[in-house]
Amino acid sequence: MKKILAILLALTMVVSLGAVAFADDVSELPREETLYFAGQQWGTVNTWNPIGTNQNNAMACTNQTFGSRTLMFETLYMYDFMTGNILPLLAGGDYTWSDDMTQLSFSLNPAAKWSDGTPVTAADVVRTWDISVEVGNSVGIGYGAYIDSVEADGDLGVVINAALNEAGQPINPLKVLDFLVGGFIAQAAWIDTVVERNGGDAIGILNDAADDVVWSGPYTKYFSDDQKVVLIRDDNYWGQDASLWGKLPVPKYIAHTIYADNPAGEIALKAGEVDVCQQFIGNIQNLWLEDDLPISTYYEEAPYGVCLTMPTAWYNMNLPVLAENTALRKAIALAVDYDTIIANAMTNQSPSFGEVPRSLMNPTAGEQALFDHDAVADLQWAGNDIDGANALLDEAGLVDTDGDGWREYNGEKISLNACCPNGWTDWQASMEVVAAAGDKIGVEITTLYPEWDIYQTVFTNPNQTEYAIYMWSPDSAAPSDPWGRVNQFMGKDFVGAENNWSGNWGQYVNEEADALIKQIPLTTDEAALIDLYTQLTEIYLTEVPSFSLMYRPSVFHAVNESVWTNFPAGDDGRGIPPADCTDGYGIAALYELELVG
Amino acid sequence: MKGYRKYFGKKILWFLLTLVAAVILNFILPRLMPADPVAAITGKMASGMTDASAVQEVYKRYEAEFGTNKPLFQQFLIFVKNLFRGVLGTSFSQYPRKVSDIISSAIGWTIGLQLPAILVGWLLGNILGALAAYIRKGFDKVLLPVALFLSNVPAFGMAVTLLVIFAVNLKIAPVSGGYAFDLLPSVSWKFFQSVISHYQLPFWSVVLVSIGGQAIGMRSMSIYELNADYVKYARFLGIKDRKIVGYVFRNAMLPQVTGLALSIGTMIGGALVAEIIFSYPGLGSTMYSAVTAADYPLISATTLIITVMVLIVTFLLDIIYGFIDPRVKAAQFDV
Repeated sequence: MKKILAILLALTMVVSLGAVAFADDVSELPREETLYFAGQQWGTVNTWNPIGTNQNNAMACTNQTFGSRTLMFETLYMYDFMTGNILPLLAGGDYTWSDDMTQLSFSLNPAAKWSDGTPVTAADVVRTWDISVEVGNSVGIGYGAYIDSVEADGDLGVVINAALNEAGQPINPLKVLDFLVGGFIAQAAWIDTVVERNGGDAIGILNDAADDVVWSGPYTKYFSDDQKVVLIRDDNYWGQDASLWGKLPVPKYIAHTIYADNPAGEIALKAGEVDVCQQFIGNIQNLWLEDDLPISTYYEEAPYGVCLTMPTAWYNMNLPVLAENTALRKAIALAVDYDTIIANAMTNQSPSFGEVPRSLMNPTAGEQALFDHDAVADLQWAGNDIDGANALLDEAGLVDTDGDGWREYNGEKISLNACCPNGWTDWQASMEVVAAAGDKIGVEITTLYPEWDIYQTVFTNPNQTEYAIYMWSPDSAAPSDPWGRVNQFMGKDFVGAENNWSGNWGQYVNEEADALIKQIPLTTDEAALIDLYTQLTEIYLTEVPSFSLMYRPSVFHAVNESVWTNFPAGDDGRGIPPADCTDGYGIAALYELELVG
Repeated sequence: MKGYRKYFGKKILWFLLTLVAAVILNFILPRLMPADPVAAITGKMASGMTDASAVQEVYKRYEAEFGTNKPLFQQFLIFVKNLFRGVLGTSFSQYPRKVSDIISSAIGWTIGLQLPAILVGWLLGNILGALAAYIRKGFDKVLLPVALFLSNVPAFGMAVTLLVIFAVNLKIAPVSGGYAFDLLPSVSWKFFQSVISHYQLPFWSVVLVSIGGQAIGMRSMSIYELNADYVKYARFLGIKDRKIVGYVFRNAMLPQVTGLALSIGTMIGGALVAEIIFSYPGLGSTMYSAVTAADYPLISATTLIITVMVLIVTFLLDIIYGFIDPRVKAAQFDV
């Protein structure tokens, strides 16, 4: 008994000593200084390399044309997808084009500094561009066809020389603008260090962990493991200069827990463990109407957010029955009940095609102003038009000759499949509605939901004949849109391209449309631009090479106001886009947040 | 002793042959999937690129880097050569992370969750099953249906139920993760407590599901053994009940030990559901995402770990059997 007591005593002492030792090092993120995110970072962070690839670092290294995430690294300009404005970030003012649009010039903000205190100079921009081309990162490869070179004009002046075609015209000035908002700028001296330690090896440079990276943004890395990533505010951030924000962003920490899936993120948002959630949440209004949670979205009423893209069903033109029958393509598109898709799959987080009639444009005011609505009104359809679809098919001679209830083409039953990746539930619900539409018009449409790894292999193959109708989303918003999206819908350049992630996934060829698309980047006259887009919309709605099923936000923006408040809202007059307080000009929200308490 | 050595020599040989076959299958099977993981990586980088030939360039570069443009046989030789050097390759889906890095950061969580859960589930299940067989009456009448119910609840059903009741509704347990959302790993009581509280729901979701099956198995085996001739004979000889019960449970345990060993061997796959539902870190969800992304190197490495673990535990089982059951030991010596 004595022995047992002695052991117990010893154990207690060890444990208490341990407690004292443990208590010394508490590491906690103060809730009232931390803004928590969900829906952006999936999986463990790979690198912090602004000139690398595959960083899997959503908070620090997401450069995208509708709004790069400039928390740690910065782009030259910020994009505001609500207005289409391109606003200076590292640049000190507006850019100017030369008359022939072969050169774009701007000057850097003299206040811009790197984290090591040195100024951001034109040499940094030049070096970043050169290394991007040299190692072939997404900026170098993505813009290499449109930008010939970047030159310094003094310490702060930058000149971007557009790549020219044989006629001496710029290939695509719109893509040059995309670079302004979509390419991070890295420090030249740091790039030299990276090049040196990797012996100039491109793969080594692209995969460099960049633990010693120099940044220019308001936050920097603080912690990351396979469960979370945390950024900490750099209190020496140059942007507190009056020429940019005039102050520091409010949250000291930006933290993103790495959730296994959407439901886990949604539960955390409801529990108040997430402040800003970039995830689709079905019937989101119930969170405040029924559950009485302090959760809100950009707009109080449906569609709750700003839709920038249009998930689309593409017809496979490798299949003769689809390629040779415009009437069939249009009839299916006419018969689909889009209101059901929008109500069920999107839980009304999309305007209907009655509210925003279909075209090539997203629902933003800027894009809607780019075509003549009256000219295409007769061609637009809102869906569920079974009689119209049947009449169209009968007229085209696609009828049921053998009495089995299904229409035939060249003596064979028309039988198609409708595909999207398994587990993408809102898309699957949409494909079911498409299949149901087929039933009503005597066209057999069966749904097929392959796993994602198989789906992506097949639909990017230009010669595939396995999928007949399949879903993918075109571009959302960028300085080069709507041209970019129109090009994706009907551009010829993508036809036949292997591993086609770029556009025209149905392999649709229309020379007339392609010629019009190619004129747009060099057209600056607004009336001419409207005329071009109107003609293209007419072709698209007549030929129906694909049809959009809904409108959809590029980033979802739901916020829980139990700790932080004053998030951007549609009616607050501040003009900050709903971009999760991080993307493009959406980052302005970070400077205006307030604590609830 | 000679027979013993011969017996294990033979066993080792078979295990090695199984290992070779498993390595070949681990390599080939993932690559038979009609999916192209290089296309997926290209897609990640190519989003927003309008220049189709540039995207092609990206694809070719990754193809060369991963060696997927080489013939399958050549890829296999490289794979085996790397295995001998302890190199598991680079993950496709989490490129450029090394497979060994991914596994080493996840495996601790999986073992930490699964091993205690499997052992506790096994122990509780067996004790309850044995008691049910021995006590019978009311206890058995309650235990059997409860065990049947538990063993038939799918793992994800149990996990979601626990999550909804204790985390979402009662709010007495955290909803997800391995530690609190507002903490950073550190050597502190607060962190330690947080790890323990986050451990509860995933742990019990595994334990509760396994208790049922173990209890039913143990109960049936015990009832069978309790009615065996040797028990009657022992009773007839006047041996004490306690001693008889000892014999009975030792015999009834045998298939249960096999079950335990196999669940330990396959614990990585078994951790999948709890890890996904509770966003708990670990290898199960890593393996799941590797399969959905056709990440060959990561799939091969995780399945190889499972294969090796199963082989090791079955080998150890053979040795342990000898100790538990003299009949097996006799057979081992006789060979």
